[in-house]
Formats: sequence, structure tokens, C-alpha cells
Amino acid sequence: MTSGTITGGPALRDPHTPDSRLGHGADYLHAEHTLRSWFFTTDHKRIALLYLASITAFFVIGAVTAGLVRLALVVPDGQVFTNDTYNKLFTIHGVVMVWFFLIPSIPATFGNFLIPLMIGARDLAFPKLNLASWYVFMTGALFTLASVVLGGVDTGWTFYTPLSTAFSNTWVVPALIGVTIVGFSSILTGLNFVVTIHTMRAPGMTWFRLPIFVWTHYATSLIFLLATPVITVALILLIAERAFHIGVFDPAYGGDPVLFQHLFWFYSHPAVYIMVLPGMGVISEIVPAFAQKKLFGYKFVAYAAIGLASVTFFVWGHHMFVNGQSDFASVAFSVLSFAVAVPSAVKVYNWTATIHKGSLKLDTPMLYAMGYIGLFVLGGLTGLYLATLAINQHVHATYFVVAHFHYIMVGGTVLAFLGGLHFWWPKITGRMYIEAWGRISAFLIFIGFNVTFFPQFILGYLGMPRRYHVYPPEFQFLNILSSAGSTILAVGYLFPMVYLVYSIWFGKRAPANPWDARGLEWTVPSPPPSHNFLTEPVAPKVPYDYPLQAQETGRQHS
Amino acid sequence: MSAGATDAPVGVKLVSHFATVEQQKRAAVLGMWAWLLTELLLFAGLFLTALILRLLHPEAVQAAARHLKVWIGATNTVVLIGSSLTMSGAIQLSRLGWQRGMVRFMLATAALGTLFLMLKGYEYYADYHEHMMPFLSDRPYALKDSPPSRLFVNLYYVATGLHGLHLMTGITLLLVMTWQASRPGFLAQHQNRIEIFGLYWHFIDLIWIIAFPTLYVLNR
Repeated sequence: MTSGTITGGPALRDPHTPDSRLGHGADYLHAEHTLRSWFFTTDHKRIALLYLASITAFFVIGAVTAGLVRLALVVPDGQVFTNDTYNKLFTIHGVVMVWFFLIPSIPATFGNFLIPLMIGARDLAFPKLNLASWYVFMTGALFTLASVVLGGVDTGWTFYTPLSTAFSNTWVVPALIGVTIVGFSSILTGLNFVVTIHTMRAPGMTWFRLPIFVWTHYATSLIFLLATPVITVALILLIAERAFHIGVFDPAYGGDPVLFQHLFWFYSHPAVYIMVLPGMGVISEIVPAFAQKKLFGYKFVAYAAIGLASVTFFVWGHHMFVNGQSDFASVAFSVLSFAVAVPSAVKVYNWTATIHKGSLKLDTPMLYAMGYIGLFVLGGLTGLYLATLAINQHVHATYFVVAHFHYIMVGGTVLAFLGGLHFWWPKITGRMYIEAWGRISAFLIFIGFNVTFFPQFILGYLGMPRRYHVYPPEFQFLNILSSAGSTILAVGYLFPMVYLVYSIWFGKRAPANPWDARGLEWTVPSPPPSHNFLTEPVAPKVPYDYPLQAQETGRQHS
Repeated sequence: MSAGATDAPVGVKLVSHFATVEQQKRAAVLGMWAWLLTELLLFAGLFLTALILRLLHPEAVQAAARHLKVWIGATNTVVLIGSSLTMSGAIQLSRLGWQRGMVRFMLATAALGTLFLMLKGYEYYADYHEHMMPFLSDRPYALKDSPPSRLFVNLYYVATGLHGLHLMTGITLLLVMTWQASRPGFLAQHQNRIEIFGLYWHFIDLIWIIAFPTLYVLNR
């Protein structure tokens, strides 16, 4: 028995654990090696890795098409690609990034891997359903990729009618079928999380002892369950109209094109919070660990997650200010959209207050987290500009909107994803990456991101519309700046792909808790054993029980 | 019932990642409810659209709704409520361990479900006959001067078609489960599957109970 491979030490050894479970074969990565043991696994940790590999592949597809879009925009006369090719490129970029990367990104990988570990369970409530959700995801992905291989789609990721039903001559139906199927994988994941968080918590793990990561995933899962079926039915109606002429959206068949926008945004606005909330959970874990300080205002952060998930269902009309909806509706949606800022700001203030007078360590995950907070604030504040009716008229469907949602989705979700990847990488793989490379990539991504997207705010404000590749020559300088930034961003993305993969074979072995972080996932060896806990997990009395607390460091005792 | 005389042991077999049977049963029930919640939202968009359409174009929708066969819809409502009754009978008998009686009630439930689909199929046929299928290019639509009526009719087909698809899925699952449940030892290991499936069946029934007034009855 080589006792050295279990880094948690002899205290974790359960006398009832058979010898075969200890030693080299004990952890989930080395328990079995066959292909079958990966593709038919029901272990939530292995399924998380299946998802991680597939969404990384989709991220690459989405990033390459984004690069081609930026390449086309270097010249103002639209000579790089034909109009059709350009339309197809930004559609692939949007469809792949939204539905095949951003929405599953954090929940399907870290959520899958960490929720059972964080709440002290052996697995999710329905392990087979969890595996099924990955196969459903891949089936949907095949349909969508088939539509790309056959000739592409040119509707944009929003599939607006009547373009998608009456005018587009591209492979819309396979793409729609793919996106519909992927929705079911989201629903199954959300269902599994809700049931797991309700029923599988370890003894003593009460709701207010759960990490914020679990809270935000609970809120996300509620959106999965309540919003996804609405986009499913909207896409089914689109397919019915395009394939069988059962018209619901096309006025020629008696339909109403604005109806599609209502159904689409009833899902797709909450979907923004599917992308943002899990990232907020990641940041809420990273910040206290690297400040060594208890999360400020735990209950407020937890309630803010539920608050965001609730308010987000009542703001979809802010995507439709210029499509002829009634003024009264527009005012109501505008006011409600402003309300979203409240729980978002609660979170930002609480992270900032946690950092305040903490004992900071600026390691890679923390750099990503701080980048996230800055970019999320900028993305969120410009969201308030867009929620204002008068300004919205001016910047509607311009690059201002593009810049805004990239600050939220890339600046927010992708940075949180990368931060979480670096934070939990030692736990997932049992290896440490090279810290210096991590910091360089974090800086490159932050700089590259801002150089890419900040000029787009100015472009949009000056009136450059989205989805055009022919533009007035006076916009060329800002467009070249943006394209140049995207190359920095691309290098920043390539770095982690190289040094993280390198670390799997050549990295230093990781201890159970390299960051001195709190939470049940850090009490098990790295990588965790197949059945997660060798001994019965004991829920901590207080979440985020770090040495520093606001009361001890603040000047005034409250 | 004489068939119930042979009491089988009733229970649920623990799966390894749960701590207790109670926890496992709670997870299964909550899982089905969560699924039904998403199903409700799936239909809610269609029903809401149909209702708004009635408010915006009352005459056109009435003209279209008059072509729907209320007596078939009403009969089908009774048929489905009856099937829910037999399903709850099956659940009660499964709790008591009366396996043969349970299997008979399950078969009756599947039969009622099939009867519903047959009546619905006849209704579609009648619609076809009355030129009420606007998506067929070779059969001119009966109310072609009224575009909103066409939208309503299309929603009617999507909503009832989606409901029919759910019912077909339900009948298939029910028949497979009846086959499994008729074998000895089933109730000792998987009694809660009957209850979980019952939730789904009652839910399909409930969706029809919303669909019937929304599509057939309102301001007729």
C-alpha cells in the first residue's frame, strides 16, 4: 500500500473501505481506465470532465468564428468575405457560444463536479439522468454542427422571424432542432441540481450553511426549469412553421412575428442569468479564499441570487423597445430592468467588502475574480443605459449593445469560468499548474478583452449597427483597434489550454487544500475518491469560516 | 376483489448513492414534480397566446372555435378524468400489494388513454373534412378571409398535438411498466415507480383540463 498517494493523510482512511479503494486506484481519475468507464460513467466528476472537454471544443469553434468576424471588420468595404459568409460566421459564433458554451459552461462542469462535494453527497440524485443529459447535449450539438457543415445558417443566434421562417434559404431547421434538443439537456441538469440540493445534503448541512456556489446554482436551476421549456415551445413552433407551414409567426399564415420575440426573450433574458449566476457563485468562492476573510453579508448574497432569478423573468420586454410594443409596457419593462441592478450591486458590494482589509493573495484565480468584478460592473452599468428608453432608441441594435453583452458574458462568465478552472484545477486533476503562466494569461485576457470591446461602446454610440460588415471609413480606426485586441485575447485563451494540459502530466502534485480554502470539497484528497468521501462528511457550523471577519477588521463594531 | 387476495411485499430497494430509502423516495417525487413544472411552462406559452388571441380578435377566434367539436372534447375530458381514477386505483392497490388488481387497473388506464387518442384522431379527421387544416396547400381553408382565426387554428393543432404526444409517451411508458410490474417481486423493489408515473399521468390529464376550456369552451 503506497500511503503517500492519498494526500489527505491517514486520518481520512475509513477502516471499512476495502484496500482496493486505497492507494493508486482510489481516486476517480484512476479508478478505471477503459473508454467504456468514461463514456458510460455515472460518476458526476467524470461527467463533469466529459462536459469540460466538449464545451472547450465548442469554445474553440466559437472563438475561431469570432476571429474571422473581427478579420472581416478590419476593412470597411466588406471585401474579406461575401455577405452570406459573413452572416453565417456571426451566426455560428453566436449560436455556438451562447448555447453550446456559455449556458452549459459553469453549471455542467463545475456545478456537476462540485455540488455533491460541497453539500456532502456521494453523487447527484439521478446519476444516470446526469449521463443522459450529456448525450442529449451531444445529440443537439451534432444537429447544429450538421447544419454548419451542410452550408450554415444566416439568421443570427436569435432566429428572429420572419427572416428565420420566410426569407432565409439556409439550414435553419437542423440548427433549430439542435438548439431545441440542447434545451432538454439544460432542463435535465437543472432538475438534477434542484433535487440534489433539496434532498442530498449531508446531516447538519442546513440551507444557510451552503456555499454561495450552491445557492447560485440552485437559482440557475430554477431558471433552467422555468424558462427553458418556453424557448423549447417557441422553437417547436418555428420548426412547425418552416417545415409544415403551421404558421404562428408569419403574417402570411395569419401569424404574428412579434409573438416570437416575446416567447424568445421570455427565455433568453433569464438565460443571461443562467450564464451570469453560476459565475457569481464562482467569484463568491474565490474572493473569500484569497482574502482569507469570511464572505461579507452571506445571507444578502444568497438572497440576491434568488432575487436575480426572480426579477429576471419580468424584464424580457426591454429587448423590444423599438418593435411597436405599447409605451406603457416599455415603461414598465424599463423600471423592472432598473430593479435588476439592485441584487447585482448587492453582490458586487459584498465582494468588495470581503476584499476590504482582507489578507490578499493575488494568485491566478483571484486575478480572474478581480477582473470579473471590474468588467461586470462596466457591463452592468451600461445595461442601465440600455434600459433607459430614450438612450435605447439611439443605441438599439448598435455595437453599444454588442459591447454591453460581451462585457457581461465574456468579461463576466468567461472570466469566472477561467477563474474557477484555475481555482479547482488542483482538486479536479490533482496537479498544480505553473502560477507565473496563469498570471500572465489572466493579464493578457483582461487587457485583450478591454482593447477588443471598449472601442465597440464608442462605435455603437457613434451609430455603427451590429451585424454589418460594410461600414463608413471613419469607423475603421476603432474597428482595427478592436480586431487587434481580439488577437491579444486569443493568445490569452491559448496559454491556459497549453499550460493546463501540460500540468496534467508534468505539474506538481496538488495537496488536498492548496489555497487554504474552506468548504467540504477541500477536505477530500485531490483528486477526490470515486465515492467522494472516505468518512462521513461533517458540515461546518458556519460557512466561509476564514480567520478574518468584517467585525474584527472594520473600524466600527456593528 | 378476489385478485387482490395474493398480497405481495411492498417496498423500495435502496440505490447505493442514497443514505436511506426515505431520501431516495423523496428525491424521486421531487424530481417528477420538477419535470412537471417544466412541462407546465411548455404548455403555458401556447395557452397564454391562445387566450391573448381571444382578447385581440374575439370574433375570428369564435368563428374558428365553432368548428371544434365540443362534444368530442367534453367526452375526452370525461375519458381522461376516468383514466386518472383508474390510475389512482392502481396506485392504491400497489400500496396494498395487490399486484394483479393493480395490473388490471393499469391496463384500464392505458385503454382509456388510447380511447382518448382515437376520439382525438376522429376529430382531426372531421377537421380535415371541414377544410379546417389551413397548412394543407391542396385543401383551401374554410375561413380564409380571417387571418387571426388561422393563427388560432394553428395553435389548436400545436397544443393538442403536443398534448397527444405526451399522452402517447405516457401510454407507452405505462404499458412497459405494466409488463414489468406484472412480474413477481416488482412491488417489493420498485413500488414508488407506480406513484411517480401516476404523477405524470395525472399531469397530462390536468393539461387537457386546461386545454379544453381554453380552446373549446371560452366565450362560445
